[in-house]
Amino acid sequence: MVSQTPDVVAATGQANMLDRLYDSVLNIYRNHTFRVIIQAIITVWAVVTFTFFLVRLMPGNPIDVLIEQILVQEGISYQEAYDRVAASFDFDPDATALDQYFDWFGDVLRLDLGTSITSPGTRVVDEIARYLPWTLFAVGSGLLISFVLGIVLGMTMAYYRNSPLDHILSLFASFMTGVPNYIWGLLIIIILGIQLNWFNVGALRGTYDVNTTPGFNLPFIVSVLEHALLPIITYVVSTLGGWMLNMKSSTMSVLNDDYVNVAEARGLKDSRIITAYVGRNASLPLFTQLTISIGFVLGSGVVIEEIFVYWGLGHYLFASITTRDYTSMQGVFVILVITVVFANLIADLTYGFLDPRVRVSGQK
Amino acid sequence: MSVINSIFSSIWNFIKRISKNKAGFVGFIGLIIYFIVTFIMPSFVDFDDEPKLDEITGPIGSRIVLAVHVDDVDTYKTMEDLEGKTVGVVSQTGGPIFIEPYEDTVNVETFRWNSRRDGPGIQAGLIALANREIDAMLIFSKSVTEYIDNQEDPELRQLFEDNIAISNPTLGPPHLLGTDTQGRDIATHIVHGGRLLILTAVLGGVISTMIALVFGSLSALFGGVLDNVLTALTNLILAIPRFPLLVVLAGLISFDNTLFLGVLIGLLGWPALMRAIRAQVLSLRERDFVEAAQSLGLSTTHIMLREILPNMISFVAINLIFSITFAMYEQIGLVVLGLAPISDYTWGVMLYFGRTRGTLFNADGASMALAPVLAIALFQVCLVLFARALEEVFDPRLRSAV
Amino acid sequence: MSQPMNDDVVLRVDDLSIVYQTKRGNVQATTNISFDLKRGQAMALIGESGSGKTTVSLSLIRKLPKNALITQGQVLYQRDGNVRDVLKLSKRELREFRWKDCAMVFQGSQNAFNPVLKIRTQFEDTARAHGWTDKNAVRERALELLRLVRLDPERVYEAYPHELSGGMKQRTLLALGVLLNPQVVILDEPTTALDILTQRAIIDVLNEMQQRLNFSIIFISHDLSLAAEMADVVATVYAGEIVEIGPVNDMFYDPQHPYTHGLLTSVPKLDHEQDFVSSIAGAPPNLISPPSGCKFHPRCPYATDKCSEDDPTLTGEKPDHLAACWNKDALLEAREEIARKELAQ
Repeated sequence: MVSQTPDVVAATGQANMLDRLYDSVLNIYRNHTFRVIIQAIITVWAVVTFTFFLVRLMPGNPIDVLIEQILVQEGISYQEAYDRVAASFDFDPDATALDQYFDWFGDVLRLDLGTSITSPGTRVVDEIARYLPWTLFAVGSGLLISFVLGIVLGMTMAYYRNSPLDHILSLFASFMTGVPNYIWGLLIIIILGIQLNWFNVGALRGTYDVNTTPGFNLPFIVSVLEHALLPIITYVVSTLGGWMLNMKSSTMSVLNDDYVNVAEARGLKDSRIITAYVGRNASLPLFTQLTISIGFVLGSGVVIEEIFVYWGLGHYLFASITTRDYTSMQGVFVILVITVVFANLIADLTYGFLDPRVRVSGQK
Repeated sequence: MSVINSIFSSIWNFIKRISKNKAGFVGFIGLIIYFIVTFIMPSFVDFDDEPKLDEITGPIGSRIVLAVHVDDVDTYKTMEDLEGKTVGVVSQTGGPIFIEPYEDTVNVETFRWNSRRDGPGIQAGLIALANREIDAMLIFSKSVTEYIDNQEDPELRQLFEDNIAISNPTLGPPHLLGTDTQGRDIATHIVHGGRLLILTAVLGGVISTMIALVFGSLSALFGGVLDNVLTALTNLILAIPRFPLLVVLAGLISFDNTLFLGVLIGLLGWPALMRAIRAQVLSLRERDFVEAAQSLGLSTTHIMLREILPNMISFVAINLIFSITFAMYEQIGLVVLGLAPISDYTWGVMLYFGRTRGTLFNADGASMALAPVLAIALFQVCLVLFARALEEVFDPRLRSAV
Repeated sequence: MSQPMNDDVVLRVDDLSIVYQTKRGNVQATTNISFDLKRGQAMALIGESGSGKTTVSLSLIRKLPKNALITQGQVLYQRDGNVRDVLKLSKRELREFRWKDCAMVFQGSQNAFNPVLKIRTQFEDTARAHGWTDKNAVRERALELLRLVRLDPERVYEAYPHELSGGMKQRTLLALGVLLNPQVVILDEPTTALDILTQRAIIDVLNEMQQRLNFSIIFISHDLSLAAEMADVVATVYAGEIVEIGPVNDMFYDPQHPYTHGLLTSVPKLDHEQDFVSSIAGAPPNLISPPSGCKFHPRCPYATDKCSEDDPTLTGEKPDHLAACWNKDALLEAREEIARKELAQ
């Protein structure tokens, strides 16, 4: 802000003071945004660098392993084998390690992640673009459903605390959080799929029925939902308990806050108090936990997708590990981290809109 | 002995406090049962490592019975009755362990089980029995009845029905949890499959908690640059999805040692807890007694060890339990994917085989996958219930990191 | 008090008794409380913490804790000739009654506002809950009231609660309190936790508002200077009973109950409620098993045998100044003695 002389301030009076306050609030808010973005960039940088070291420089790294493998299998010269591997990983074999590092960085920024080793000519980024949306769809809808359900059930538990309903829901919640998500996945297959025979688990491989044509038509959409249903149920069941318990304790502390008491004395309708006064404040801490949750659930997708043979990014990662397709592996990992960081960034920025206090202080 | 008395009375007090919380008490009892089953029972129960009837997945409660010639139903009741006689067993590799005590007194004839189509051992054995070539056969109750009932060849069926009877339906101990794809007793695997898994998880959890405790308190007590660096590092590691990182690491370095995997999981698992401990130390530092100690000029080490740490013991203990559940989650997750060592036959490995051998999709054989699934699930639930009860009993104001 | 309500009485509390049901037994929080509040009048309830004054104020808008049980009595409000018993209102009627007929400004109003909503939204919420949906009209009225409490109205109206200081929030809450033009405003410790200058400002604002808007006030305070300055009528509450009630001057210059006298002669400290009764020996009574007779007798310097046997009722020479004490003469003598000593000095 341009500094003003005292007379000007005095002359312009109240309206100007308001403007100035507004400006400074906005400024600090921008700082919060700025800081969150800087943090995200640093994280991505660190992980990309870490991946470079892991893949190129560590003893026993995949590049050395691959070269050796080609040497043994095909009996060609070391230089030839090295060039071949370099072509797959998309780096200049003659450059120094430092140049390779900068090259790699630029490639990642341009989303150029090399070509697959097991199926030469296939660009890793294209493969990822094929698989990633399915993962985002399943994980995203699972998290969304469990978050909303958790808030509603958690508030219910707090409002009816110490009732039989609360005890039952608490026990359920402990079960849901305690049992690992892949165990839930297996239980769902064993119980819903095999013992009760509600789902034909074998027919639900992949992300949609190949007999349907992808596009905006009913059979396709139905088959997409059908295929994603069990993974989504798994994500919901395994995360719901945590939201419920957190929301319950958060609601109970908000219910003791003065402003709820005052709102009742003000004669506000219960529906307004529950939503705008209790619900909104009680769910704020949950939004910060959402950032941690996103990473965790996306990460756990690797096992869940493998269990349900759901062809998302996790399935692709696992497949590339079993076939030792190092470039794909490296690409998926980098993209996965960027996705998590990006999701966190969105959650962080949204939080600023939900809690006005953050906009000023820059932190909670 | 007053020391022992006071230890006992404090344990008793603890149990009394925990039992006020019903769910917590259930968790506590559950953990004791788990301890008995996985740490004490292995000394008394042998691991059933003898592949017997390949491709047989016995249902819950199946047992080994003595099939004899119909005339001998009253003669041969127990293995002792068969002294000097010939007893047939079906096996892939040789005599099954259940005949071991009688190997010197009975003659064992093995009917090799190669695969379902070629040379079915059961059929050969039953024909031999019906023709009185052998005196008895040791066999799964389910196999013999199913085999006779489903016999398509009417002549054979008639032969079996006329000549074979089960003399003692309670010879072998029932298989509480059924048998796996190799006819091995699943219950013994559950008994033996927990110890290493739990120890590894505890190892990982302890390492995570120790790192979190050291980093968190250093960060909170010294502040400044150290705090900034440690906090930045924590946020960085927290941003990396941990499980995929482990998966990728497993793809690069093959894990061939379960304990090493536990250490690695521990080394990666501290950041969330570090943040919680840092906040906890920061808030404790503001309390009167710590400020008093500071004004007395006591050293930071002294304040940490004598004033702050004792006040966080329950907080750390509760989070240690949660760290253990996480370490277990990751370890078993890697095993299920087949990316961790499967040489030690843990619950995770049972799960891996249950999945890869397809028993998951076999309504009768679900036990092979279901048993470890429930063993793991209930163990984790007991830990969580116990930890949450501790949370309430010790200090409801303390919230765990998770 | 069973005589008919005069037109100028807006609130009548009649023989109100409340118990708290606790694990250790029933706590007799208030016993047979009765008083009238006239239009435009300000009444102060004074007493130690735990004396039951907050319980009385909460019962006026039926906002008692869940374990409270009203065993007898009535809380009657009169508006435009209609008399209603708050204790008999249905849930819906009660909701509509609150804030519109009787607003309560709680102790600790620092957290009285929802932190995530603008002050504007919270004014609009209050208005809409009582059927007033014209946002422009609400805004006009709110700005006027905010100006009345000496705040920068435009700025405060669009602000979030955390952007206001403690005193600003307190004044904003006062403005919100009279938004719907209530007949009675209850103020629970309206000035605690505020610095002296802000306290001063609040008192001025309250006086001005009461003159302009002509509502009645009940306020609960341990701050006797505030009571002296603001109240028309003062009631002393001890152990859940009103032990003395009267016009402010009579109460301060001619206290008839030893407890009131004790409160007046003790040296008040600014915000430590416990310290201010330091000149009265002993501790407040256990309300699960209260003392027999006059509940104050174990601490009373003038107590006689009669005090521990019979419970005195409110009596007085003047009809509007009543005290429940058997030994008013003893107190009078003691006060004269003190006055003589002061003169001698």
